[in-house]
Amino acid sequence: MRKRVLHLFCFLACVSFLVPAFAQEGHPLTGTWAGDWGPTSTQRNHLTFVLNWDGKTISGTINPGPDAIPIASVFVDWTNWTVRIEADSKDQAGKAVHIAAEGKLDDVSSYHRRFTGTWSQGTVKGDFRLTRD
Amino acid sequence: MKPKMKYTVFSVVIVVLWSLLAATPMSGQPLSAAYDSSRQVKLQGPVTRIDWVNPHAFLFIDVKDAASTFTNWAVEFGNALELEKDGWKRSTVHIGDVVSVEGIPARTESRRALAKSVVLTRTGKKLFTPAPRRAAALPAPAPRWPDGQIRLGPPAGKKGYWGVPSAKVLIEKAAASIPMSDDGLLVNLADADRVAPFQPWAKAVFEHRQRTILKDDPIMRCLPPGGPRQFQSANGFQFVEQKELGRILVLLGGGDRNWRMIYTDGRPLGQPDEAVPSYYGSSVGHWEKDTLVVDSVGYNEKFWMSSSGLPHTEALHLTERFTRTDLNTLKYEVTVDDPRTYTKSWAGGWTVQWVPDQEIQEYFCEDNAETTFVR
Repeated sequence: MRKRVLHLFCFLACVSFLVPAFAQEGHPLTGTWAGDWGPTSTQRNHLTFVLNWDGKTISGTINPGPDAIPIASVFVDWTNWTVRIEADSKDQAGKAVHIAAEGKLDDVSSYHRRFTGTWSQGTVKGDFRLTRD
Repeated sequence: MKPKMKYTVFSVVIVVLWSLLAATPMSGQPLSAAYDSSRQVKLQGPVTRIDWVNPHAFLFIDVKDAASTFTNWAVEFGNALELEKDGWKRSTVHIGDVVSVEGIPARTESRRALAKSVVLTRTGKKLFTPAPRRAAALPAPAPRWPDGQIRLGPPAGKKGYWGVPSAKVLIEKAAASIPMSDDGLLVNLADADRVAPFQPWAKAVFEHRQRTILKDDPIMRCLPPGGPRQFQSANGFQFVEQKELGRILVLLGGGDRNWRMIYTDGRPLGQPDEAVPSYYGSSVGHWEKDTLVVDSVGYNEKFWMSSSGLPHTEALHLTERFTRTDLNTLKYEVTVDDPRTYTKSWAGGWTVQWVPDQEIQEYFCEDNAETTFVR
């Protein structure tokens, strides 16, 4: 068991060095972001963003797959690296639910740059934490 | 293989791999990112090791402080190839020689400095100083192939390669007078707008790279100098024209000592949608009188086009024009078209000088990583 843990540690340590060697140096939002959101530190929901820059607008999807939510708008203030993302989803009853995420990009030069901030989904408010994959 | 042995081998591989990767970022670091020129350091002590390697040669010296404690300093003092051209050798200084060093300390690492001068204490002789500028090659017209087309490589039966560029940074033509360091660090960040017609995000990224003193330059990880940057390498480049194959190879002296292919066989520009974007893209060229015009697309986003931190996207399209105006001069002009990054197409360029009667020497960016910094 200890060997397995050690192997896993070594593997992760190597990966932590390997990944920056293949950094994406283009638009800072482009790519896949993974993390979670929730109203408390223990109540969390898996979250994946896939964002793309086409030269004029940033488009994307939240949680790609059967329950994907198209992103309606992305606004970035490049003077302070703040980002506001809005999307519209539906709850299980089919009722419209508005999603708004407002946060800040950190460690912009890093491949694993971070995007954290506040999250509101319908009446639920919380925070989100995303790291670029 | 027995489980225990398998485990040991695996562990050794992991440790070695980790060590190499951890060391790599230091190997190709731009000077501004590596050293803090606002500070000075004076060191004296015996030489304990000499790393006569590219791209950076190092002396290691034991320095005794006031409390008689020894610390071992790594002193970078030049590029081994350039030093050899200037007549200096590994044997110029010996293990045990006491040297005095005046230099610039590293920004992040302790016990590392860039030498401004190295003096052999015993004799007072200054070591590793550059030789007087070598005489320029004799003027001559650009060499041609039997069919009259300009030769981009050496004249028939001769040697030589393209060496020093007249500019070390790519900027928009009209902005040629912007004050900046050799590696593209702007003296005044407010000049960023003049470097290129950035989209807002690109300007923010460029300024961030400048503010962080270019420390995240992919070159630091020994990644290839993609795009125009390949023609600003300190170690030069060479064209190998394979007319019978309809292609021109560009051999790079810097970077990872890799090459780029320019097809001149009439194929159309572009590559299949599924093709993997690359550092040098897909290039096709044709001759317009005495100028080779090369169009390239298919770039990845893993490199900086210039040491100053110019961003780009996979939409990048470069049009390069190579004109050998005489034997010794290559005029390089590039038009940058990337509508996802810049508000309009823009152009820059420089000239490159011919280095006659010599060939590109062995250079591996990783060399320092594997010798100097795995301690």
